[in-house]
Amino acid sequence: MKALVITNKINNKFNPSLLNLFTVIKKIAGNSNYEAKTDVLVIGYELNNIVADIAKYQVVNKVLVIDNPALDHILAENIAHQIAKIVGNYTHVLINADSFGKNLLPRIAGILELGQISEIVSVVSPNIFKKFTYAGNILSEIESFEDIKLLTVRSNNFEQDEILANQSCEIVHLEYTNPVSSKIKFISRNVEDKLVNLDSAKIVVTGGISLESKENFDNIIRQLANKLNAAVGASRAAVEAGFAPNDCQVGQTGTTVAPDVYFAIGISGAVQHIAGMKDSKTVIAINTDSTAPIFEYADYGLIGDLFDIVPKLIQKI
Amino acid sequence: MSNLKILVCAKRVVDANVRVRTKDDYSDVEIEHCKMSLNPFDENAIEEAVKLKEKSLVNEIVAVSIGSEKCVDILRVALARGADRAIHVNSIDRLDSITIAKILKKIVQKEQPDIILMGKQAIDDDANQVGQMLAGMLDYPQGTFISKLEIGTNNDVNVTREIENGTETINIQLPAVLTADLHLNEPRFIKLPQLMLAKKKPIESINLDEINITVKDTGRVIKVIDGKITKQCKMLTNIDEIIDVLKQKKVI
Ligand SMILES: Cc1cc2nc3c(=O)[nH]c(=O)nc-3n(C[C@H](O)[C@H](O)[C@H](O)COP(=O)(O)OP(=O)(O)OC[C@H]3O[C@@H](n4cnc5c(N)ncnc54)[C@H](O)[C@@H]3O)c2cc1C
Ligand SMILES: Nc1ncnc2c1ncn2[C@@H]1O[C@H](COP(=O)(O)O)[C@@H](O)[C@H]1O
Repeated sequence: MKALVITNKINNKFNPSLLNLFTVIKKIAGNSNYEAKTDVLVIGYELNNIVADIAKYQVVNKVLVIDNPALDHILAENIAHQIAKIVGNYTHVLINADSFGKNLLPRIAGILELGQISEIVSVVSPNIFKKFTYAGNILSEIESFEDIKLLTVRSNNFEQDEILANQSCEIVHLEYTNPVSSKIKFISRNVEDKLVNLDSAKIVVTGGISLESKENFDNIIRQLANKLNAAVGASRAAVEAGFAPNDCQVGQTGTTVAPDVYFAIGISGAVQHIAGMKDSKTVIAINTDSTAPIFEYADYGLIGDLFDIVPKLIQKI
Repeated sequence: MSNLKILVCAKRVVDANVRVRTKDDYSDVEIEHCKMSLNPFDENAIEEAVKLKEKSLVNEIVAVSIGSEKCVDILRVALARGADRAIHVNSIDRLDSITIAKILKKIVQKEQPDIILMGKQAIDDDANQVGQMLAGMLDYPQGTFISKLEIGTNNDVNVTREIENGTETINIQLPAVLTADLHLNEPRFIKLPQLMLAKKKPIESINLDEINITVKDTGRVIKVIDGKITKQCKMLTNIDEIIDVLKQKKVI
């Protein structure tokens, strides 16, 4: 086994999912005689600080760096060819299943005509992985026949291991050889800096269409989230209604979360929503309807009107 | 005015409202008697193409579906939604993503569309791969997970993509592969006359063996289990009990 983890820079730090990916590598190495060391490929621009940080982790064998202004905003077209050449040296290539990884890895798979297993949530053996299908209704165990296993990983399904950070390993700066595509140009990014990110939050407070307006959503869901230092989530129905932005959507087609505590407030519990939150450790549901499916996935439930309950809860915290 | 040609992909999948079950021996899912539909993200892709055609920016929409004979029903839906003609590649269902991408590449080479518009993911395997794979194989630029599409004047498009904590906008030269997020648009309801009209539109059928590609199995499903986890929900009776839970979980 020889593993490569591909990562990027977010807010001047390395993508925090890297530490979860290290855990995945350890699981792949498992009880076999494989060495649980991995190479890390970091791509982007002005990476010096984060490269040094990554090199400290004991699980890292070698850090490969492609640092170039053309990769300030990473477009898959501007790096996929070069990475496609690198992955040939490895048996396992892992990337976080975020918008960066989901956009990039399948393009590399296409160039190499290799299969990929998307959004793995568990490792059975070096060739066998589990992933959810059918909106989380089914957990499938999939064997890869490929010599190079391309995997995107739902990082928040894996703990961050206690990984020692006190070594310093080899750092290899690679020349940027990928042609810069004239066919695609980055124009702008419109992101909100959040105090707590949804996908890695320890606590998530989610509201649904029953909030009735953006104002209510802000006054009730956001207030409670602020009080608890939690991330804000929303059902698709609430997003469509304009109560919360798209990136708050939890579910099959939104973000997948696995926090310690998940508040589902006025959420019915449609399968597509459950798909995004069912790995939450403790779920607390508040709903007027005692038969709402969300209670089947909740650890604690309170039947009642959110407009009555939540403001009082906020006051008492 | 542009005269763009759009190829839209139409995958036949188990309907979003069906709760899929495993076979008794857990070897696979039981979908024999399930209601099947056009993949919801592909509905968004077709809707977008139709909207562009209504604005006279597009002059032809071709729908393609790969799989068993039954895909023809799905292509009829795509035609009713506004595609002009359709191509059915007759094969077994559930080919690997990489094989689907190879087939689509051949169709693209034959049809020479300006835009290949597809869903970002199929709701059966939730793979989210085919669009990017196809773009990589064709060496076309890709706009993935898009929630907005604007046709430019220089054989280009501006797309807005859904990313963590917001969106980003990129400019792409055509030909390109674009994959739709659900937020791209609100697919309209199909009216009866459109269904009637769809029956008259042409569907070309191609057998997989007429397409010169090597089909490879990149993996296999070993077993499936019910992914549903049911918890024992403890019903609380008042707010103080929620507070107690939060304290117990060390949240407050
Ligand atoms: C392909 C596809 C993908 C999808 N992806 C997603 C996804 O990623 N995420 C997602 O969330 N959805 C997704 N959906 C939509 C999903 O099927 C549901 O429609 C949606 O989750 C419902 O949102 P909701 O719970 O807010 O609304 P509803 O289902 O309408 O439920 C409202 C709930 O609020 C309760 N309620 C009403 N008033 C009050 C009150 N005053 N106090 C307390 N409770 C109250 C009601 O009892 C009810 O249970 C997808 C659908 C499809 C077809
Ligand atoms: N068998 C198929 N026939 C037509 N289009 C397909 C097929 N499989 C996948 N696609 C397209 O690829 C998109 C992404 O699918 P996937 O990568 O499998 O999640 C779908 O939304 C479809 O547009």
